[in-house]
Order: sequence, then C-alpha cells, then structure tokens
Amino acid sequence: MKYTPRALIAEITHRCPLHCVYCSNPLKMQRRADELSTGDWVSVFQQAGEMGVLQLHLTGGEPLSRSDLTELVHAGREAQLYLNLITSGVGLDERRLDELIGAGLDHIQLSFQDNEEAPANEFAGTRSHALKLRIAQMIRQRRIAFTVNMVVHRRNLDRLKEMIAFAEQTGAQRLEIANVQYYGWALRNRESLLPTRQQLEHSIEVVEAARERLNGKLRIDFVLPDYYAKYPKPCMNGWGHQQMLIDPAGHVLPCHAAMVIPGLDFPSARERPLRWIWEDSPVFNRFRDESWMPEPCRSCDRRTRDFGGCRCQAFLLAGDAAATDPVCTLAPTHTVIEEALQRVNGRAEREWVYRIDPS
Amino acid sequence: MSGLERNRALRLAPGCRLNTTGGPEDLLLIPEGALRLKGPARTIVELCDGERTLAEIVVELQRHYPSAQPARIETEALALLARLRDRGVLEYA
Repeated sequence: MKYTPRALIAEITHRCPLHCVYCSNPLKMQRRADELSTGDWVSVFQQAGEMGVLQLHLTGGEPLSRSDLTELVHAGREAQLYLNLITSGVGLDERRLDELIGAGLDHIQLSFQDNEEAPANEFAGTRSHALKLRIAQMIRQRRIAFTVNMVVHRRNLDRLKEMIAFAEQTGAQRLEIANVQYYGWALRNRESLLPTRQQLEHSIEVVEAARERLNGKLRIDFVLPDYYAKYPKPCMNGWGHQQMLIDPAGHVLPCHAAMVIPGLDFPSARERPLRWIWEDSPVFNRFRDESWMPEPCRSCDRRTRDFGGCRCQAFLLAGDAAATDPVCTLAPTHTVIEEALQRVNGRAEREWVYRIDPS
Repeated sequence: MSGLERNRALRLAPGCRLNTTGGPEDLLLIPEGALRLKGPARTIVELCDGERTLAEIVVELQRHYPSAQPARIETEALALLARLRDRGVLEYA
C-alpha cells in the first residue's frame, strides 16, 4: 500500500451543547442511539495503531458529551496513539480534566468563538463564553499542551488583533486561527460568514505582525478561506492519502464532509476491518489516484500538489464530485465562486440558521 | 549564537514525546503532527531529560561520537536544540 494513514479523526458523537453557525458537522447528524459503543471505538483505535496511525483526534459534536471519554483516551494511548481532544470545554471540570490527563491525554484544543462575550455567545447560539474562560484557566494550571482555536469570519475578522491578544492571555502555547470552511452548517450560513476581500487582506497583515511579536511565545497557525485563493487547497492532503474520519455511527470517511457525495457506499467500522476499508474499499480508492481527474487538472503541473482540490466542494458547488474544485481560477465552474464573492463584497448581512442538536 | 543558556537543562514540553512503537522511523510527536528525527537527533533529544545541562549534553555527545570533530558536534547540537526550543518542542526545566 502506497499510502499510510497518519491521523484518525474520531467524531465520537454529534451531540453538542453549542449550536455554532459554522458547525462543520453534516446537516444530517447521527443520532445518539446509533453511536458506536465504547468497545467498538476501542477496537477501532487498536486497528488504527497497528496500521501506523500516529494521531487520534477526538472530536464531535462535543466529545465531552460521552461519559466514556476517559476510557476512550486510555484506549487510544494503549494503542500507541497521540491523543488530541478537540473541545468547546463545556462538560469539563477539575476532576474530569485530571482524569483525562491521567488517562494519557496529550493535547487539548479549546475553541473560542470570539474575544468578546456577546458576539461569542451569539455565534455559538448559547451562553458558553464565560464558562470557557474558566476552563482555559483550569487547563493552563496543568502540565498539558494547550491550543486555542478561534474560528474567524465576516462578523469578527475586524477584531482579529484583539482576538490574538485574548488568546495570549489564555496561556495557550499555540493559536489556530481558522477561517470558516464552507461545508455543512457553514455553507448554509455562507452569505453571512464569508469575509470581504478588504477584511481578508487586513487580517493577513495582522497575523504577520503578531507572529513577529510573539515569536517563541505563541505559535500561530492561520487557515485562509479558499474562496479567495488562486488555486484550491490540497484537501486532506489528498483523498485517502493520510487521514480518515469515523463518524459517530461508525461510517469511515476520507474527510468530514464526504457523506454529501451521492453514489458512494461508505463502509462501516462495525462491519469491516479498518485496514480493508483504507486499502481496498471503493470509497477510499475513488479519488485516490489521478485517473478520475478531468481537464484542466489532468495536464496541470499542480495536480501532485493540490490533487484537484476538494471533492466535496466540487459536488456542493458544481454538482459533480469529479469536477475540478470551483475555487481554482482555472476551473470551468469558477464563476460560482466569483458570483458568491461579488454578493459578499457588495451586500449587508443576513440572519443565522442555528443547528439543532440530534436526538 | 544559539541564544541558549548552557548551564540550564532542557526537557520536552508538554504534548511532545518520542514515539515508542519501535518502528523504522524516529518520530517526535507534537500537537500539530510529527517531526522526523534524522541522524543523531533522537539521541540529542533523549539527552534532554530535564537534569543534564546543555554543557553536559555537549560533552556527552562528544564522548558518544569520538570520531567527529568536537567543535562541530557542539555547533550542530546547539543549533538543533535552539530550533526545537523556538518551535516550543523543548522547554527549560
């Protein structure tokens, strides 16, 4: 096998106390009754470790919504994996945090929606900001790697300088500033979330200055919105090249959003060995090599760098998962991006659509 | 040149650890992924136990690699340690 999976993203539940307007979960969420059991996940983690996976990202929904989280962390460490918890913090207290660290948790990524309380709570659709501040303090008091994640968009990008100063105060070693990616709930709210070109250009300058100022103190990773890029992002570093995602019900996917692509039969970790799914399943091989590529990708020098961009975005915006990512300025469907950007750059804001928690 | 304090000890920062699977790769696992350690880099990182000072680590490496030029070992080891500290992988104990 040419490709070794390096990271497993485990969406252990879609349940979440937050209702963020840019949630990356699919519009059709998995129900609690369909979630994998503790034993199912333990088996998955063992198989992943044997296949060469290094990193296990426990995410959701809110992973703390599962009462067996400590057990899952322990099982991941037993399987020789590096344990990363991606969380809103809601559901954490001192005792649970100590238990998680004791079970082998390596790293916590805590999300904040803004540096100011009122907009943070508005974007999250819930009053969670004040609690998150207490959680950050709890994390900082312990010896564990700590990243703050802040999702940025049209409504908060002008506060980026203040948001970076805020992240500095949390005591995190690393700050991830992620522009919203337009899938799931975020795509539904796209017209309210996409920043203007002017905002984006200013934000790049802000991050560059902050990186210089904070060198050696706070590392900053900055994810740009691909709508403004000339070429598409190398989505997941290639379909089925390095990463896989398992949803709460056990579907094994090449990425967060792949369930939107019609005609693919996603295998279940309940029914098939993970190695078969990675190496031999039709889904993981569907866009793995270059044989699916249309022009202009097929003869493009960049195809080994960006792999034609994102298959899910091609389907969502161009109606065909085997099309060039419309974000690419060379794509025949690029006009859909230009039209969206024209609307965003010349128009006022709209109302949010909040996600509802699955039963 | 490296800006490091030679009479102090370094250790791996929280969330950074050497993988223990014993596979063919020497990997240093960190929050955003993994760093591949080439050549004697793993030995150098392993010596950062929070006890040995940097000066002691250099002496130890010079003993460990007797055929290499001592000055070169010192320069290269300190350069690696400075890079890893700037990345937040190593911290003063």
